[in-house]
Amino acid sequence: MGLTRRTLVKGAALSIPAATALNLLGTRFAGAQASDFANDVEVLQYALTLEHLEAEFYRQANAAGLLSGKEADYLQRIGADEEAHVVAIWTTVEQLGAVPVPPPGVDFGQAFASRESLLDSAFTFENVGVSAYLGAAGFISDPAILQAAAGIFGVEARHAAILGSISGRQAEGGVYMGATETPLPRADVLAAVQPFLTGAGGAADEAAVTS
Amino acid sequence: MPRRRQVPELFGGQPVIAFRQEIDRRRFLTAAAIVGVGGTLAATSWRDPRALAQASMSDLDILNYALTLEYLEADFYRQGLEAAILEGRELELVGPIADHERAHVEALTDTITQLGGTPAELPRFTYPDGTFEERDAFLSTASTFEELGVTAYHGQITAIESTDLLAAAAAIAGVESRHAAILADLTGGNPFPAPVEATRTMDEVLAAAQDFIEGSR
Repeated sequence: MGLTRRTLVKGAALSIPAATALNLLGTRFAGAQASDFANDVEVLQYALTLEHLEAEFYRQANAAGLLSGKEADYLQRIGADEEAHVVAIWTTVEQLGAVPVPPPGVDFGQAFASRESLLDSAFTFENVGVSAYLGAAGFISDPAILQAAAGIFGVEARHAAILGSISGRQAEGGVYMGATETPLPRADVLAAVQPFLTGAGGAADEAAVTS
Repeated sequence: MPRRRQVPELFGGQPVIAFRQEIDRRRFLTAAAIVGVGGTLAATSWRDPRALAQASMSDLDILNYALTLEYLEADFYRQGLEAAILEGRELELVGPIADHERAHVEALTDTITQLGGTPAELPRFTYPDGTFEERDAFLSTASTFEELGVTAYHGQITAIESTDLLAAAAAIAGVESRHAAILADLTGGNPFPAPVEATRTMDEVLAAAQDFIEGSR
């Protein structure tokens, strides 16, 4: 299995024919697994696991000393955003009376072997994150949580675009993923992040998010 | 361990629960019933009459509001690209944005029609002198429009009643966020102004947009 799961970030293949964008979206959205999430807390725990993963990725990435200048600055800011997301979601889960899932054990493999592999992994995480939020949005019932999740989703899209840009990818299918974002169901997202979850913590978290 | 005990400065600087209490109760009940959870989601699709029945007058209003903003963006980028003031990587990055805005106009127009509404008419737009004469003015205005568009969509998230329309609006909003980040980068701005997208009300957005609509002021 490669370090990045490109099968989930197909680039231009994900772009949607213009005139039918909304129709297609509606159809695919309805095709999501109805059992993906039972309530807002489940969505939040799922999001928290992804944000834990992203936050830890950027902590390690930014400590690796592979970037400089604007790239280093951007990844510092992105890492700070992910930590803010962790704190916000963690706090919300607690306020809803649940116990937030702890950070999973992670192993990013050779992600920090080079600038290129670092940016490549970050690019994949961000685009999977964007699609994960969109795939889960329809399961949120509390409008305040929906507002916050949408607001986080948009920022993940900003991250994804900038990572596509600074790594020199083509505009369409690299920086942008078509005229509309594409939702991913929970199973696909978990399959994408599975290679990075390790150890007892990872297994426990996986159980927590898939139960 | 990223856990911190401090309350994050999010949601307008207020803790989540305080923010939540500001949500209008009627809106809460309406949205909770319609956005629903899995069962509701699976039951609705564009082919399902129940989904169409969900489109309220207010959803059509929101769609036409979004359409007006997309008209503005589509027109703006069309003129900017015709003016041929960009080149190289900048042109490569901005070209698809024009395509996206045009696609958004088409999709919103089709959706409004399918829901039995009447798409808003294309306004006549006007821009400050020099907007399309040099790169800086064009990209600076583009950045303003994109940030405005992002906050406009996010300002309607809790007002949209249909699950399908919510999904579609979010899917468009995410792309506007990508545009906003790229234009901030191209113009020396901050691609990541906050950890959560900001919102603007319809009144605030229209007040900003009407400067570009002929005869609106």
